[in-house]
Amino acid sequence: MGGATTDLVVEFGAAVQSLGALQAAAYRLIGSATCQIDQVADHFVCRLTPVNNPNKKSSHDSEALRIHFLDLVTDENLRERIAARTDGVRNVILALAFGSLASAQNDRP
Amino acid sequence: MELLPLRFERAGKSYLVSNMVGDFVRLSGDELNRLVDLRVRPGDGLYEKAYAAHLITGEGQTAQRQLLALRLRSRMAYLREPTPLHIFVVTLRCEHSCPYCQVSRQSTDRSKFDMSEETARHALNIAFESPSKRIKIEFQGGEPLLNFPMIKNIVAAARTQAGTVGKAVDFVIASNLALLDDTVLAFCKSNGVLLSTSLDGPADLHNKNRPRPGGNSHELATRGIRRAQEVLGPEQIGALMTTTEASLDRVEEIVDEYLRLDLDGIFLRPLSPYGFAVKTKAIRKYNSKGWLEFYARGLRYVLEINRTGRHFPEFYATLILKRMFADRPLGYVDLRSPAGIGLGALVYNYDGKVFASDEGRMLAEMGDQTFELGSVAQSYRSLVFSDKLLDLIGSSLTQCAPECLDCVYEAHCGADPVYHHATQADPVGMKPLSEFCARQKGVTNLLLEILETSPQDAAILRRWGGM
Repeated sequence: MGGATTDLVVEFGAAVQSLGALQAAAYRLIGSATCQIDQVADHFVCRLTPVNNPNKKSSHDSEALRIHFLDLVTDENLRERIAARTDGVRNVILALAFGSLASAQNDRP
Repeated sequence: MELLPLRFERAGKSYLVSNMVGDFVRLSGDELNRLVDLRVRPGDGLYEKAYAAHLITGEGQTAQRQLLALRLRSRMAYLREPTPLHIFVVTLRCEHSCPYCQVSRQSTDRSKFDMSEETARHALNIAFESPSKRIKIEFQGGEPLLNFPMIKNIVAAARTQAGTVGKAVDFVIASNLALLDDTVLAFCKSNGVLLSTSLDGPADLHNKNRPRPGGNSHELATRGIRRAQEVLGPEQIGALMTTTEASLDRVEEIVDEYLRLDLDGIFLRPLSPYGFAVKTKAIRKYNSKGWLEFYARGLRYVLEINRTGRHFPEFYATLILKRMFADRPLGYVDLRSPAGIGLGALVYNYDGKVFASDEGRMLAEMGDQTFELGSVAQSYRSLVFSDKLLDLIGSSLTQCAPECLDCVYEAHCGADPVYHHATQADPVGMKPLSEFCARQKGVTNLLLEILETSPQDAAILRRWGGM
């Protein structure tokens, strides 16, 4: 991988951190840094490589990049919690709006 | 108590949170975590804030869910009457030679680049097969007035056909007005045809952007606008501007030009990545950051004008504000998901090919047929229910696209698969790299900032949004 000297490694315990949240955080980092995720024993190892993008705030400062990535992971963890608690009701609302429940409502006298 | 679906985004030290239909509320990190864990109680302030924003509901209560469903259904009601817009490219010829032209105009050979009567007849049949009770036929080019006889034929045939099938039909000619004369104006007046033109600002800027023999594009456009206002009425003529690199530090002059011509508002639009805008590299001259700075300055200047009592909206802001403040469906095809390709508009090219959007037609002129659905020999159903179109629409839904799925602005945004295909060769697009995404977020954040910090300007924005 190019630019190895500026790579930054952040590790998470696989028992307490979901891979999905790491992948979502890595996605949001596109344009600022690339993120390669590997599982090594009971850890997820995230290797961050900054990229040069004039449209993004510079993340060449390793500490700033690490904090930004941890914030993104924190947010994605919260999004996973929200999804787990609201997916059911979201489906009910969508069904009320567009699905069979909407038809049932329209059929009422 | 039950948590309702919500999205959030960090915004400095606080969080911007939205419900399923895009009502915004700001929360601290602690408040957001308490809310998600339902550590809220009546009387603690957060409960009331969350309840009012439809972020929580009582156990067994159905009203909040039904209200959100009703609002969601209303916001997407455009799906019930698909394809209200039908664009007829009556010629690809044009007497201008704009370096940023998005349709790759041609300047010669009438027989090769004009729509035939047979093509027009087939296209009209498709247009009237679409389920919408009211359709709009828009004439584009090239410069459509170079094939004015065909416009007259299509309008006459459409009127007859509309009467037969019981549909309403509106007409728009998108023209640079260089060829506008009393004959065209009389025809527009007697047939209720609207005119839409291009005006990029003061004469030197407009003429630089829009070269033509004689270098008098601005003179002809402004004369045409004045004549159309006199003959047709001020509400029957509108203008659009396109931002080039030369526009970036002149937004006040551009707005002043629209005011001078008594136009009813301005749409501060970025350049689109199609046609000659790509070939001449005009599109690479500025990025979303440069455009957003231009836009922010322009919007604040437009608000200053409105503070004097003159109603003069900025239309990009108005589109987003209408989505924020009202649950009415909007016809703007770029800001919807499912995308407006085919479902919002069909384009009938001069050569009989049918495209899912005007931008898709522009890509085809560059050799990319991704959004070519077929030909005018086909039926409406076979074009709109084609696997090709359904795949493009289904794969680009913001409701389930990466990042969009959780984006706090999703309810006020759109999929725009043509833009993302053109810029990233992928109808979904990587949103962290998307200039469309950056622009949408930037404009919405700017509007939220004004709404929260400037009561006088907020009142103006609410009026634009229909409140």
